[in-house]
Amino acid sequence: MRRFRIQTPLGRAVGLGSAKSGFGHWWTERITAAALVLPAIWFAASLIAHSGSDYDTFRRWLREPINTALMVLLLVTLFWHAALGLQVVIEDYVHSVAKIWALIVMRFACFALAAVGIIAALRIALGA
Amino acid sequence: MPRTDAFIVRSSDQVPKHPLLKRFPVPRNFGVTPGSRIERGRTWAAPAGAVRTKAFEIYRYDPDGDDNPRLDTFEVDLDACGPMVLDALIWIKNNVDPTLTFRRSCREGICGSCAMNIDGANWLACTRYIEETGTPAQIYPLANMRIIKDLVPDLTHVLAQYEMIEPWLQATTPAPDRERLQAPEDRAKLDGYYECILCFCCTSGCPSHWWNGDRFLGPAALLQAWRWLTDSRDEAAGERLDLLEDPFRLYRCHTILNCTRTCPKGLNPGKAIAQIKKMIVDRQS
Repeated sequence: MRRFRIQTPLGRAVGLGSAKSGFGHWWTERITAAALVLPAIWFAASLIAHSGSDYDTFRRWLREPINTALMVLLLVTLFWHAALGLQVVIEDYVHSVAKIWALIVMRFACFALAAVGIIAALRIALGA
Repeated sequence: MPRTDAFIVRSSDQVPKHPLLKRFPVPRNFGVTPGSRIERGRTWAAPAGAVRTKAFEIYRYDPDGDDNPRLDTFEVDLDACGPMVLDALIWIKNNVDPTLTFRRSCREGICGSCAMNIDGANWLACTRYIEETGTPAQIYPLANMRIIKDLVPDLTHVLAQYEMIEPWLQATTPAPDRERLQAPEDRAKLDGYYECILCFCCTSGCPSHWWNGDRFLGPAALLQAWRWLTDSRDEAAGERLDLLEDPFRLYRCHTILNCTRTCPKGLNPGKAIAQIKKMIVDRQS
């Protein structure tokens, strides 16, 4: 909803001015994307390799330090990248007060899912 | 220039291997307020005795009446008019309906006035051959602009965005007595950017500008910004980058590249924007 306002075209175009940031978000999104390539291939290949395995074999596989480390890295990078990407999608398409709430809820969800995944992986790796 | 099939479109000279739909497949007038729905207008028959004719469907909107926009069909006598879409429009204005309104000036692709949506793609009417268009040829004004009348869009906002990037040479060093010198290699860096004629075909075709045009500068203004950033005579690169570095002004570009696909001058605004982003990387690291 746009209020009627008498404003010069330049004033409207300038708006609130430059945020003088945005590089960090954009660059991190690209770096996390690149960082996801190898863990994603590893994850998909491992799942396919273990498609016939039972639960205990899979647990034993995840207990191996290299696999635990890769799993935690994958979860961190994945949800970091997801949070950055979803932020762009929300900013693109949501133009009401819902935007700020959507951004907050989305961030919380990404952090929560990452936390749940990492704790699950560590429990299998370190726990009973 | 020969047209080649290409999967990655680097310039609008290339025709994509998989041609896009002329019209995005949503129902007509989807989500459009009742007063803006495009209705079927009248049909203007070809003059008696015309041998080769072609139908043009042209968007009409009269701001002085209360009528909705409409799509008029004109039968154009191809033997009586020139080869370009603009020639057909001028023929219609001179011979059929003098109220048909459009911008035009140079008729040779250098003024940028006659930018419009021809068969679903933004192009200059003066450099698009009639024979390249479908039947009927569909002519709409540039998308995502307030329409003043018929094919005349209101460019106030996009021109203000152009003004905002301060498109003039800025230097604190006192001006020399003669012209500012520039090495031939540095001059070559402006090639592909100085040719922009500000027709706004690209900005009108950019989905990011559709959704966030109030804050995203759009490809035309950003290509111009790069034209000054890469000019070796300019001393304001830092301030220019400060002005651009913003989640919306610059980074709302998601490299959709409709701009490069539609540029009637064969320029590459998408590359210009990528160069700006690269320059900011260079500044940060």
